Amino acid sequence: MKLKNHYNRALVLLTALALAGSALAAPAQKIPRAANGKPDFSGIWETTSSADEDLEPHSARKDAAPGAGIVDGGKIPYLPAALAQRKKNFENRDSADPRLKGWTLGTPRAVYYREPFQIFQRARDLTLFHQFGHSVRTIHTNGTPHPGGETNEFWLGDSRGKWEGDTLVVDVKDFNDETWLDRSGNFHSDALHVTERWTFLDPNTIEYKAQLEDPKVFSAPWSINVILHRHREKNFQLIENYRTTLDYEQHYPPKP
Amino acid sequence: MNHTLIRRPGAALAAALLSLAPLAATAQNGPPGTPGAGDARRLQFEPSFTQIASGKWTGARLPDGQPDVQGHWSNTVSNHSNFTDPQGGIPGDPTPPRRPLGPRESRAPSRVSDPADGQIPFQPWAKARQQEFLANFHNPTKPEYIEPLARCAPAGVPKSLMWHGYEIRQYPGYVLFLFDSGSRIIHLDNKPHLPAAIKLWNADSRGRWEGNTLVVDVTNNNGKALFGRTGEFSSENAHVAERYIFAPDAKRYNYVATFTDPSVYTRPWTATIPARRREGEKADGWHYEVALNKAGETPVVERYERICAENNIGFGNVAQTPRK
Repeated sequence: MKLKNHYNRALVLLTALALAGSALAAPAQKIPRAANGKPDFSGIWETTSSADEDLEPHSARKDAAPGAGIVDGGKIPYLPAALAQRKKNFENRDSADPRLKGWTLGTPRAVYYREPFQIFQRARDLTLFHQFGHSVRTIHTNGTPHPGGETNEFWLGDSRGKWEGDTLVVDVKDFNDETWLDRSGNFHSDALHVTERWTFLDPNTIEYKAQLEDPKVFSAPWSINVILHRHREKNFQLIENYRTTLDYEQHYPPKP
Repeated sequence: MNHTLIRRPGAALAAALLSLAPLAATAQNGPPGTPGAGDARRLQFEPSFTQIASGKWTGARLPDGQPDVQGHWSNTVSNHSNFTDPQGGIPGDPTPPRRPLGPRESRAPSRVSDPADGQIPFQPWAKARQQEFLANFHNPTKPEYIEPLARCAPAGVPKSLMWHGYEIRQYPGYVLFLFDSGSRIIHLDNKPHLPAAIKLWNADSRGRWEGNTLVVDVTNNNGKALFGRTGEFSSENAHVAERYIFAPDAKRYNYVATFTDPSVYTRPWTATIPARRREGEKADGWHYEVALNKAGETPVVERYERICAENNIGFGNVAQTPRK
């Protein structure tokens, strides 16, 4: 009797574990989906990672908490001249980070920056609306190619996506060279090419991976991996952050 | 379509400013509403407003039930050079058009549709400050005389609707306005407005559809954007009740908005800004500022990013991107 009881309890426990295991292995059954069956990333997202302080592993310092970084392998493979520039950027980061001027963050920095962004999704595209700078990136998912050739330069790049199963794969190129990748001076040139992979881990969590190539700055492609969380606070919304206007906005409007 | 794009972000504003010189002239050379012959820089504007009645929506709907008004739009009468005489140029222009303005009746009416005199009912102090701004606009000697859009500030409410073409995108619960300078998210879900202490260039918008009309309640406006080069303004206390009234064929809409601000005006007043859809028109780099792409053999109209962040200048200067 006693033994049997133990056996039953163990069976219940094993069954529960098996059910939990299968649920973890098959989140695809539960993720939000759009009318066309594709994963629906609509919502307000933000990382809890400190990636924007420094993409690479780093000890605590006055302007950053310690962090393991989000670079696969831990090290960004800079070309020698670019590494020298990166060190210079690091030394001047208190004034030289374009973020401090309120300039558009670029891709992928705007994704792992510590302010929320909202995704609006249609079959033909995804609109990424970033609180910082109120900047807007369109990821086209309608089979259109990059139109730019060698002439287009965008702060956020030109984004063309396609679905591979439940993963949105986005090819991003045609960048300008005005943006940094984090607060510590990691940077890129206008030859940057980013390949993003957006995948639901569960209905409220996105795994964001990106590969960065830039033959003018890096000796090899390298990758980052960061988690984005859905904002679920009641009535949460974006609040525009136009940092560029803070130096002169006190002059307006006219006052009595 | 020429895909040559702005290589330096500063060029965006320079190009925009250059496009304005002929813009004022358009309204003054020849019959208003006719495109400048053979001059691609001349932009087309209409001499009058089209009336659109509020009522039922009989046009296409999106799957969530919203009237389908997605696409590319631009105002029909002029840019923000002159709020109350839209085709009258900027008063005090040191390089006025060679041909004198015709009678007032030959140009589009004031965007102030109430009161009947077409003027914003400013309190005396506010009228004086508006006049002071205008008198100093062409040669700003103080920071407050620089029109904020020339510094890349967001164009705000309602100036965004007079400044370049823009795109409307719709989603369940939202209408997005993607403007040339700034963007607005109209929330359709009845959530409360942001706390009053938060003031924003593009304000905070709650909307709902009533038939053919998108009704939007606008609060949390910082009042900093001003309405245009003639210096009309509200304060951060402004409450704006907007009605976007769409024609049944979704080819036109009128923006009819009542501004209430007891700290600046003597009474509420109403602005009317007419707009029309631009798909099917020739891309002109201003009203219809789009790129053409193809999905296979199917033509696709796209909107490139619009980012103006690094300028901080007065009117008429050519923007320079600082060298690194």
